[in-house]
Amino acid sequence: MSFDLAFAVEIIPRVLEGIGNTILVGILSFIGATLLGFLWEMLRRSNRWVRPIVQFLVDAIRSTPALVQIYFLFFVLPYYGVVLPAILVGIFGLSFYYSGYISEVFKAGIEAVPAGQSEAALSLGLNRWDTVMYVVAPQMLRNIAAPLGAYSIGILKSTPLLAVIAVPEMLGSAFDVASDTYRYAEPMFIAGVLFLLLALIAAFLVGTLERRLGLLGTSH
Amino acid sequence: MSFIEIVLGILQGADVTAEVTFFGLLYAVPFAVLAGVLQHFSTGAARWAITALIEFWRSTSVIVLLYVFYYSLPAFGIELSAVAVGAMVLGLNAGAYSSQSVRAALQSLDRGQCEAGLALGLNRFAVLRWIELPQALRKMIPTFVNEAIQLIKGTALVSLITLTDMTFRAKQIAQSTYDPVAIYSGLLLCYLMVCYPVTLLGRHLERSTGKLGERVNEL
Repeated sequence: MSFDLAFAVEIIPRVLEGIGNTILVGILSFIGATLLGFLWEMLRRSNRWVRPIVQFLVDAIRSTPALVQIYFLFFVLPYYGVVLPAILVGIFGLSFYYSGYISEVFKAGIEAVPAGQSEAALSLGLNRWDTVMYVVAPQMLRNIAAPLGAYSIGILKSTPLLAVIAVPEMLGSAFDVASDTYRYAEPMFIAGVLFLLLALIAAFLVGTLERRLGLLGTSH
Repeated sequence: MSFIEIVLGILQGADVTAEVTFFGLLYAVPFAVLAGVLQHFSTGAARWAITALIEFWRSTSVIVLLYVFYYSLPAFGIELSAVAVGAMVLGLNAGAYSSQSVRAALQSLDRGQCEAGLALGLNRFAVLRWIELPQALRKMIPTFVNEAIQLIKGTALVSLITLTDMTFRAKQIAQSTYDPVAIYSGLLLCYLMVCYPVTLLGRHLERSTGKLGERVNEL
């Protein structure tokens, strides 16, 4: 069976049907992962009893495949009577997986703010809260912007994992076309091209956003 | 089936996981060093070409690419086994990410290193081979360790292109035994046993060399 270019072009609109869900899942998972990652890092800093537990959790998240974590959530939650739509399980799974990495981003971002900054703020009479909000946090945000941007693209590239739990995203649409037509070569090829284009566009947008933020940061 | 039996059943797939990881590394390490060095030294069109190749492997989604290579390449007359596709896609993806730290490590070396080597009468290749690469590679060990973890975890995806690795075995067991808690906890445990020590090693190396790998972990 050879590659049929006309057929490949013809199925592009059908594969594209899933792009809305791909983008939606990507954005929500990125938000979820950032919030969870921030929570892990705050817990890790909270006290010495919590710290080793959260540290193990973060390392364990980073030591197991995203696919297996998604399978775990998808098959184990219903066993305990928690039946959620596949798309929610997928978003939670990706958020959980990436939270392990993003907590490390927060950690590095906070540690990169020199201790003298908060010492100076405290000695100038700012209270703890103001020191964190007006001195440490803005500098941390500049440190984490670039790695967070990179992870947002990483998450977008991981969304096709959710096709394995039947979330109707773009790889899922490609599979639908394949099982309707009994041809796999063209739908998979088109999915590959579309995901590559999507990732390149996202990388361009994130890069532009970072440069804007960079300008804001220096004029500040 | 008891939990122990389930874990032993899953571990029957460990050989495929190990095989894909091994061949993946055979793709990843040479590609990383070669692409990083070429990107560092080339100019003009050659540099553009090598950058495009690296960016292709960095910008594509591993899972999508596995399907594309497994299902679409035969239509172009290229027949590859599932192991070959898995090792190549996972390996070159990891290699492309690592190549960026090879290049960064080479760029970060003091110019004096190269100049001193040339002044001592070594040719450019000898300087690269005996002076620059040994220093650069030492800086990259944490990145390589992190990439190795990504590669091992990535092998779970080859279960989707019919290879009987640990993840595939777990799915098989799940078809005959309804005990998702034990099966998927067991599967997580199997990966954890392999990757957790490597994660700790990577963390230790990062701390001792003081440099975070800049990889975006996708799997």
